[in-house]
Amino acid sequence: MSSSLNRHQKNQILNDDDDLDRDADALPEPCPHLIDFRTSHGAKPFRALQDCLRVKPFGRASILREPNEVPLCGRCGEPSPRLYACVSCAALFCRQHAPDHAAAEPLHALAIDIDRAELFCCACQDQVYDRDFDAAVFRAQKTLCALKSSACIQTSPKPANLRKRKRVDYRPWTPDLQERAIMRKNTSPLINAVNGLNSEFPWGLRGLNNLGNTCFMNSVLQALLHTPPLRNYFLSDRHNRYYCKQKGVAGKKSGSGGDGNGKGNRLCLACDLDEMYSAAFSGERTSFSPSSFLHSWWQHAANLASYEQQDAHEFFISMLDGIHEKAQSDRPKPLNQGNGDCCIAHRVFSGILRSDVMCAECGFTSTTYDPCLDISLDLESNKKNNPKMTSTKRNNSQNGKEDCKALAHDRGTPTLMGCLERFTRPERLGSSQKFFCQKCQVRQESLKQMSLKKLPLVSCFHIKRFEHSSVRKMSRKIDRYLQFPLSLDMEPYLSSSILRKRFGNRMFPVDGVDPETTNEFSSEFELFAIVTHSGTLDAGHYVTYLRLSDKWYKCDDAWITQVSENIVRTAQCYMMFYVQKMLYYKASERQVAL
Amino acid sequence: MVHPAEDNLSHTQLSSNVFEDLLESIIVDVASECHRIARLGLERNLEEEEEELRLSALARAGVADSGNSSEANNKYVVDIFGQTHPPVANELFDCMNCGRSVAAGRFAPHLEKW
Repeated sequence: MSSSLNRHQKNQILNDDDDLDRDADALPEPCPHLIDFRTSHGAKPFRALQDCLRVKPFGRASILREPNEVPLCGRCGEPSPRLYACVSCAALFCRQHAPDHAAAEPLHALAIDIDRAELFCCACQDQVYDRDFDAAVFRAQKTLCALKSSACIQTSPKPANLRKRKRVDYRPWTPDLQERAIMRKNTSPLINAVNGLNSEFPWGLRGLNNLGNTCFMNSVLQALLHTPPLRNYFLSDRHNRYYCKQKGVAGKKSGSGGDGNGKGNRLCLACDLDEMYSAAFSGERTSFSPSSFLHSWWQHAANLASYEQQDAHEFFISMLDGIHEKAQSDRPKPLNQGNGDCCIAHRVFSGILRSDVMCAECGFTSTTYDPCLDISLDLESNKKNNPKMTSTKRNNSQNGKEDCKALAHDRGTPTLMGCLERFTRPERLGSSQKFFCQKCQVRQESLKQMSLKKLPLVSCFHIKRFEHSSVRKMSRKIDRYLQFPLSLDMEPYLSSSILRKRFGNRMFPVDGVDPETTNEFSSEFELFAIVTHSGTLDAGHYVTYLRLSDKWYKCDDAWITQVSENIVRTAQCYMMFYVQKMLYYKASERQVAL
Repeated sequence: MVHPAEDNLSHTQLSSNVFEDLLESIIVDVASECHRIARLGLERNLEEEEEELRLSALARAGVADSGNSSEANNKYVVDIFGQTHPPVANELFDCMNCGRSVAAGRFAPHLEKW
């Protein structure tokens, strides 16, 4: 029976490619007319459609039997705005006359909306979906993007890390009685009893002294001290500062260069960080001074070494850069930045951005991948241009008058998700920025679109609040409030989502031509730190809010205080740190008492 | 839509017909797109997003009503550990360049000279 064969083939294909399992689940149940059609015709009519599919760059696919045809309804002759082409006999009918055709001819119930290239069952009067039909449309769309009439998108070679890596399943572990006994016997629990305080305060919470306009540094350091993967790395002694210094000395002794190298070998920001983690998590609660870190960092970033207030984000990038450089100098060959093989800074913060540039004339698409340590987002000051601001979706009377008033007042507030949506939106490059299209062989106007190919373990979002205009020779700060969530799902900004939307949400064919591999991890993130800036550009102050065990702590240089979540929500965010949800420890996971 | 013989129609009615056709086309467009998103299970769970927006809006309204709470201001009495801190940090340590004893709060300007 052809139907059982169909099913068998489907199952086989689905097993070949794990990454598209999602689509397999999402395949909706076909209506009986579609089933009948497939049973008797198979997928051939859909594949034969390729000749009739007209695809324009950025436009949707449509069906035209002849290139210059003016579609008219076969029954009434009207050029109805919505016409359906019968898949069996290619006759065109308007919405009114299509059901008659379906009733008259068996197996002619299936038609295509020629304007949108969507399958329509005229008997059920509903849009239906078929994988092979979508595959045909998808292929036609992709051919437009390619250099030759093949089904591959022209891309730069994918970075090595995109090859499938061996995965190990996560298995939670709790000690059994025997293991507990072993642990109890061989360890001495840390006693958090300094100054008579018990362990009601989270570990690692400790004020940082301001060394003279260094709140830009303190704020970032506080966030890093509580960045879960980074904290775990240093607390697990993965970078031992004593051993590292010994290695540096040994390297010098064996004659690895003269004075030019000497300073570089001794300077190690990771060692200074290690020292800081030791101090922060020692159990001591008096504020301490990150003096050696400042000293080392200034040596690394000579151009930023001044008494003036610096930019926290600039410091953050410069610092990660310092860690990376030192790690690279210890190696003969540079390692991949994209998957974080090179250093802990990249391992924690590096994601991969995908950039697509599409020719406006022919649709040819050029793709590049670049690692990124964070994402800088524009915060626009003009209300009118942003369609993605908050809006009252439905008037939920259950929440009470108070909520409605609050929501109404807040209408038009920019949000982090709005910024991300704008970041991944297709942007038309002006005529001054024409790009050379390999297909057209001339410079053409183009569309550019960014998306997140790979999510980092920790996402840092930087809000561009400081505008420096070289034209007007002035700088200003944008104080506008930006709403941000405590839980963030990055799924809509992934390359897989962006691409899927670009191709009209078609079900991708499972022949493995261009499987946009899903991320190793989920796309859900939790906020754990936010660096805020208050004041003006010249006279401002940075403060960090930390989320530990679902409580919020304000870190204002040496002053650590507890604050309510509401205070944090209303803060003026400058840098936001989100960690992959599965790496985030909630209050519910208490330490097991030994 | 069934249009009666068009030679009898006034301009107004013709434009009206065209407008209705366009409007219907747009509506079906949006409906078709949303239908696909819904049927293929691509819909985003907007509830969580809206909940976050609602909480933020409430928080802002709350802060506006209560005026400047002591939490928001920088007027600290003691920190959570019961400590106080002077405006200029007075912890003393030795400068790693010159060896002199420096107060923490003046360390950066001191270091700048090097």
